[in-house]
Amino acid sequence: MRRFLLYAAVLVGAAVMLFPFLWTVITSITPEGSLADGPTLVVDNPTLDAYRTLLDAMPIWRILANSLLIAIASTVFQLVTGSMAAYGFARLNFPLKNVIFGCYLATLMVPLQVLVVPLFIEMKTLNLQDTYFALLAPTIASAFGVFLLRQAVTAVPAELDEAATIDGAGHLRIFTTIVLPLIRPALATVAVFAFMGSWNSFLWPLVVIRSPEFMTLPLGLATLQGQFTTQWDVVMAGSVVSIVPIAIVYLLAQRHIIAGVAHTGIK
Amino acid sequence: MRLLKFGVAGLAGILALTACGQGSATKEAAAPDGKSVVRYMNFSANDGHEKDLTAIVNAFQTANPNITVQVETVPYANYFTKLQTAVAGGTAADAFELNYENFVTYASNGSLAELKSVDSSVYKKSLYDAFTSDGKQYGVPESFSNVVLFYNKALFKQAGVAEPTASWTWKDEQAAAAKLTNKGSKVWGDYQPVSYNEFYKVLAQNGGSFLNAERTEATFNSPEGVEAAKFLVEKVGKTMPTEADGAGTPDFDSKLFKSGKLAMWHTGIWMFSPMADAPFDWDVVVEPGNTRKASAMFVNGLVVNAASKNAEAAQKWISFLASSDDTTKTRLATSWELPPVADEAKLAPYLDQPKPANREAVFTALDEPVLPPVIERQQEMQDLVTAELTSAAAGRKTVEKALADAQTKVNGLLKK
Amino acid sequence: MGWKKLGWVLFFLLPSAIPLFVFTLVPMVSSLWVSLHKWNLISPMEWAGLDNYTNLLTDPMTRRVFLHTLIYVAGYLPLVYAGGLGLALALNQRLKGRAFLRATYFLPVVTSWVVVALVWKWLLNPANGLVNQLLGAIGLSGPGWWTDPQWALPAVILSSAWKDLGFVMVILLAGLQSIPSDVYEAATVDGASAWQRFWRITLPLLSPSTFFVVVISLINGFQVFDQVYVMTGGGPAGSSQVVVGQIYDLTFRYGRAGEASALSWILFALILVITVIQIRGQRKWVHYA
Repeated sequence: MRRFLLYAAVLVGAAVMLFPFLWTVITSITPEGSLADGPTLVVDNPTLDAYRTLLDAMPIWRILANSLLIAIASTVFQLVTGSMAAYGFARLNFPLKNVIFGCYLATLMVPLQVLVVPLFIEMKTLNLQDTYFALLAPTIASAFGVFLLRQAVTAVPAELDEAATIDGAGHLRIFTTIVLPLIRPALATVAVFAFMGSWNSFLWPLVVIRSPEFMTLPLGLATLQGQFTTQWDVVMAGSVVSIVPIAIVYLLAQRHIIAGVAHTGIK
Repeated sequence: MRLLKFGVAGLAGILALTACGQGSATKEAAAPDGKSVVRYMNFSANDGHEKDLTAIVNAFQTANPNITVQVETVPYANYFTKLQTAVAGGTAADAFELNYENFVTYASNGSLAELKSVDSSVYKKSLYDAFTSDGKQYGVPESFSNVVLFYNKALFKQAGVAEPTASWTWKDEQAAAAKLTNKGSKVWGDYQPVSYNEFYKVLAQNGGSFLNAERTEATFNSPEGVEAAKFLVEKVGKTMPTEADGAGTPDFDSKLFKSGKLAMWHTGIWMFSPMADAPFDWDVVVEPGNTRKASAMFVNGLVVNAASKNAEAAQKWISFLASSDDTTKTRLATSWELPPVADEAKLAPYLDQPKPANREAVFTALDEPVLPPVIERQQEMQDLVTAELTSAAAGRKTVEKALADAQTKVNGLLKK
Repeated sequence: MGWKKLGWVLFFLLPSAIPLFVFTLVPMVSSLWVSLHKWNLISPMEWAGLDNYTNLLTDPMTRRVFLHTLIYVAGYLPLVYAGGLGLALALNQRLKGRAFLRATYFLPVVTSWVVVALVWKWLLNPANGLVNQLLGAIGLSGPGWWTDPQWALPAVILSSAWKDLGFVMVILLAGLQSIPSDVYEAATVDGASAWQRFWRITLPLLSPSTFFVVVISLINGFQVFDQVYVMTGGGPAGSSQVVVGQIYDLTFRYGRAGEASALSWILFALILVITVIQIRGQRKWVHYA
């Protein structure tokens, strides 16, 4: 009985969570899809017109490729820089460690809205504006990732390192062969958020990118909203296109979040 | 260990890949001798007119083989964020588009180059003069549009109400709206947003003025102002949908009109094409006034960046884009915003197009136009006036109190 | 500390420290400099000393936006943590279709606020929204939500918590994975009830993840912006305007970048103090392995 209630609750919740996405999909295949009348669950004449309009309106494949390149690069960078820093903060002892960690966290405390202009001027001074690198730069490292991974490394029993040290392993080997495999769930989590952060980022690309060949997906989707009118079915088609890749990334990562248990080997 | 080496190599590869690809738009400096590149940033081509702008660019480049125009189109909602950052970083385009409301801010901050020896005779004078600041010409008008009263002929017929005419006043509109509203069948008589843009217009229709002549003080909290604001605010809930009915959600009004549930609609001529395929007959008429007629007019202008190294070529391009016959033809053929040309014969093709039948109204409305009152801290003023009026419409304040508060705040902005 | 040890510290920290320094700290310091100027972005900066700060501290709008932000955080954090924890516990059990369910709950996290806001504005529509219809069915008259100054902020809190449930769930799920199952088995053998196991084992061993969620949610919560911007635009009549919303308007709409920078540094100070208190306090309740 308890199990039944649990199922019921979880399923009702899931329906509530799924609903906006379903609405997005439905609006995107409704002819002249409108939002003003609220959602309908049955579409009379489903059509892929909105997706065709989307293809016509922008070089969508190029845009997707740009967004993917930057998101993947940013994810890989954050995993490497973040896990290394996490190991440093969790396993090494050095003066001012807490202050330095505080400085890392402090980078999360000033809103992007106010950093955008100084950062843009800096990029321009370095003559890096309007490049792929400029899109990537602010997401090479993130204190969010460092913090999450540090929590995970701290949770790895220190006896494991000590045993390895006795066996003659150095920091690098402990890091790569003991710590990294054990924090896979956290790495997968960071990967999801890093990818998502880059994939959805709007304000910075808007400001720093000028050439159409570097356009990313959120910028492309923004062009669908006119000054006076908006074709919502096309906007919703764009939203579907933008949600699907992150959903895939999440599904891929999720396996590791769960598989983590089997591999931790903590007894 | 192998994993690490692999990772390091991968990162180095990505870094190299991303750092070396500087965008085409930034590699402009290398234009060959005698050729110049003009970068042009705009919002009005976004979402539908990109190809039309390209056609104009091609016509210009054919006529001026020494100049290449590089277009960057940014959606209106993000345009000024991008423009300001670019100005701050010194990377703004050589020429760009500004709406009249924002023009004053840019002109008075020295961001714009003065235009010399412009042939002003090709432009409609009132539009040309709008881009003068301190006796200097800082821009040319690019296009304009205005606001008229759209009405659903079928609904008027059904309710047995006479269709609006150019001689209508507020009273006629109110009476018709009351008869046309049928809450049972969810049909509304009227729609006019409660906002700054509508308020300064109804104020003018009632003979009031928003600012004093020197633009140093707000004067809208007058008997005329209160009456005008009441005209606007008291529609809400009576003949016009409230926020709770959905007003204010994106495209609410256009969907409402198109679905045949709205009898009268105060909106811009930019809605002609989106409404072209509405499944009922509709037409337009000059908006009713009270003590006088006044129609809102919105003007976009073209300016040259004060920091541009290609100012001369840039001016050539904006003159072409503003007044050439190619542009005029393209604008009229594609139902873009109207060209600002003085020669009205050139606008004739516009009148020949089918729906709406009474296109004349667009030009009649221009006889008595009202431009938005503009101060240096424009956006703040617009936001706060709209917020005060919205409070009055929602019944949180009396109209009198809202106007008094708005006036005090606007005066505060004028002082700083 | 020897050279070799220093070398290791640099080896592990520099890859993250350099980019964070160049691409975040440097702009942060520049914005501190901007906060001492009058600047509208399009004309040269003018020195203003501490004027921006004193102006902000006397402006009633500053107090309002901070108050709204505090209300947001106070409403959002308990909701999202309790909900996320419940979800994580439920979906950590051996349920059929567990992977699918987890993905479903994560879907809102990845959906853009533009879409989510449209949906929620419709759900919370005062006249015919689903929520008010349901409330009506049980005899309650629903509030005006985003059209009512009293209810605009709760509407934002509700939709934010809904969207971020999956975020908290994922973090806590990862934390639950690292709790060894033999601890539970031992407790069960000792006759501990499910409730006791939750309080004595799950919560304490989950505390590093909880600590992370609380610290990050507070840092992010104080910088809430997107949802307010797209759902209410700070309205009606400024009743849901938050600090970062004000910062955005000041910078990009009102040409007052100096004040915006000053405001963001006041916000920074507040977040910093709260974070430091949490880091100091963690010894009392966070149990690391």
